[in-house]
Amino acid sequence: MKRWLAILLIVCLVTTLFVGCSQPEEISDGTVTITIWHDKEEEVAAVLQTELERLEPDIVVKLERKDGLTEALKLVGNDPKAAPDMYFFAHDKLGVYAEMGILAPISDFIDATALEAYLPMTIEAATYKGEIYQLPLYFETLLYMYNRRYMKDDKVPKTTEELYEYMRKTTVGGHYGFVEQHSTAYYSAGWIHAFGGYIINEEGQPGLDSKETIAALEYHKKFVEYMPSEGEYATVNTLFREAKAHSTIGGPWLVPTIRESGIDLGLAPMPVVNETGKAIAPYSGVQGLHVLKVAAGKKHDAIIKVLQQLTGDEVGIAIAKASGCAPAKLSCYDDPDVAKDLMVMSMYETAQNAVPMPNIPEMDVMWTVTENLLVDINMSGKDVTESAKAAQKKALDLIASMK
Amino acid sequence: MKKRRKETLWAYLTSAPSLILILLIVVFPILYTGYISFTNMNVYHWFDFSFIGTENYKRALFVFDSGFLGALLATILWTIVNMVLQLVIAFVLASLLNIQNFKFRRVYKTLLMFPWAMPGYVSILLWKTGMFNSQFGLLNQWMEKLGLEAQRWLATDVSAFICCTVVNLWLALPFMIMIVDGALQSVDKSCYENAILDGANWVQRTIYLTIPSIKPIIAPSVIITVFTTFKQFDVIYLLTQQVGAKTGSNLHTILTYAYENAFVTNNYGYSSAVSIIIFVMLIAFSLLTRKRLREGE
Repeated sequence: MKRWLAILLIVCLVTTLFVGCSQPEEISDGTVTITIWHDKEEEVAAVLQTELERLEPDIVVKLERKDGLTEALKLVGNDPKAAPDMYFFAHDKLGVYAEMGILAPISDFIDATALEAYLPMTIEAATYKGEIYQLPLYFETLLYMYNRRYMKDDKVPKTTEELYEYMRKTTVGGHYGFVEQHSTAYYSAGWIHAFGGYIINEEGQPGLDSKETIAALEYHKKFVEYMPSEGEYATVNTLFREAKAHSTIGGPWLVPTIRESGIDLGLAPMPVVNETGKAIAPYSGVQGLHVLKVAAGKKHDAIIKVLQQLTGDEVGIAIAKASGCAPAKLSCYDDPDVAKDLMVMSMYETAQNAVPMPNIPEMDVMWTVTENLLVDINMSGKDVTESAKAAQKKALDLIASMK
Repeated sequence: MKKRRKETLWAYLTSAPSLILILLIVVFPILYTGYISFTNMNVYHWFDFSFIGTENYKRALFVFDSGFLGALLATILWTIVNMVLQLVIAFVLASLLNIQNFKFRRVYKTLLMFPWAMPGYVSILLWKTGMFNSQFGLLNQWMEKLGLEAQRWLATDVSAFICCTVVNLWLALPFMIMIVDGALQSVDKSCYENAILDGANWVQRTIYLTIPSIKPIIAPSVIITVFTTFKQFDVIYLLTQQVGAKTGSNLHTILTYAYENAFVTNNYGYSSAVSIIIFVMLIAFSLLTRKRLREGE
């Protein structure tokens, strides 16, 4: 009896081992199946699914939510059995995948003139070394948000000096005039750009010790003095949601929870930096569809149809209505509902100055180096110039280590 | 003889799937990492990588600069402090749980095991925001009630080290308490009776009877814990070094240091070389610990 039980357990173990290695069955009745990996919220996925169901029965599109999508693509991106045909993600990783050789340019499937109808910023984001690798659908960028209970619409600071004055007057007794994630690269980039500085340029050259970046970090420091020392996501957003912070810079993803908290939310253009006359210019993330090389040849025609289906205005408008994201296609803003949406239009306005997150592979090391620099300056009180020079050297070392 | 051979064959056959599984998920990744460390596998040579000899190891030694040395010293201190505190606290608590006629023993045991039931990631972030956060954390709320100034608990290396140790103790103590508790229960009670009759007090009984009796039982768990504490990543990283939520302290263990200085580069050949060097260090440290423990027996 024991022996039979042991044999049964061995069989179970071996079977489960090999079941994990099996492949899903292919449909072979002429229907082409396109698998798209994504990591988006349900509302966005539902809009895409509805739109792509119009291609049935010839093309069946399976949208698969994938946690850890970026790492999974690194592992199986060139494996025809395991890789998806396409994936839906932000543009900032496309340089890595293009260098790895797993991405096919979008221009192999759709006419470049079709992309002229898109916001230039989104096409810039989708381009790496002269090739367009993404069909942009929508973008996100940071917004200046304020609590109308404390800040009246006509009193919203238009310049950074007005903002500083407001912070000085109102930061007292556990209340803050303005909070932001002051020591993270993504949030500080807006200040750096307003001074003409940059974290890394298109050529992969870090700009942490440029005089513009140093000037921005020096200037930004005085604002940090009136913010909580811990500037991480949870603290900053909780302060704003609990009405302890009068204004903040945050992403559109915060808006639903802020409204749920009962905050009377106002959105305004980014303040203009007095010293340079330029508005704070945050990074933008452009979300869109990428095609993998493993599918480019064998499913070429089906991919063309999928991409064409998503170049219509309907999908951009539907996503904007469903989740408040700003469409990448210019004509979507002619829709009356989109034009009325304050959040979408605020992002559209910010997009005029926004800088697409660098999509070059070197950016991967810059997040940590820049954040360490900001922590040294804002939280540990180290000298700006010295810290910037040290960070620049570190960035160059790490970039050299990538190759 | 024939029967014995048949039994041996059967034993190998039944354990073969488990051995294959161990080979696949433990041995193969280590060997593969070793292989990758001799190649130029990186973003620019992801699928067309080639053998480059010991080049990555030469470059990896640059990671082991003064910063790495500091991280190594911090890691050794971290391991020693945590091990000593874990053993002492676990011994005291397990001894209290073993007091005769101790009421609600099971309730206390369950409560002491509770941190073990929570995922480490959740526990660490709860401690970070619930206890140490300067705006909302319980510690600063107590400070405020006492009329004291709010502190940034994770801002300096020393305070971050103490906070990380507290969180690590919270996470690791249930395991050590369980082991010491089990070991204490295995000590023959008649030995204590004899010792008491001979006039030994509690301290003498502990030093000359309890500790020597439980030492062989807890030794393997001490080795395991030394190993896991030495290669600690999550507590230090999530509390102080997480991207987007750094606290200002520069506390690093060798793993968090290697992560920031090698793994973020997406250079798998180079990162693998760093991993293999750390792996060798860990093995050496573990062998040293085992030797020490054996010498102490």
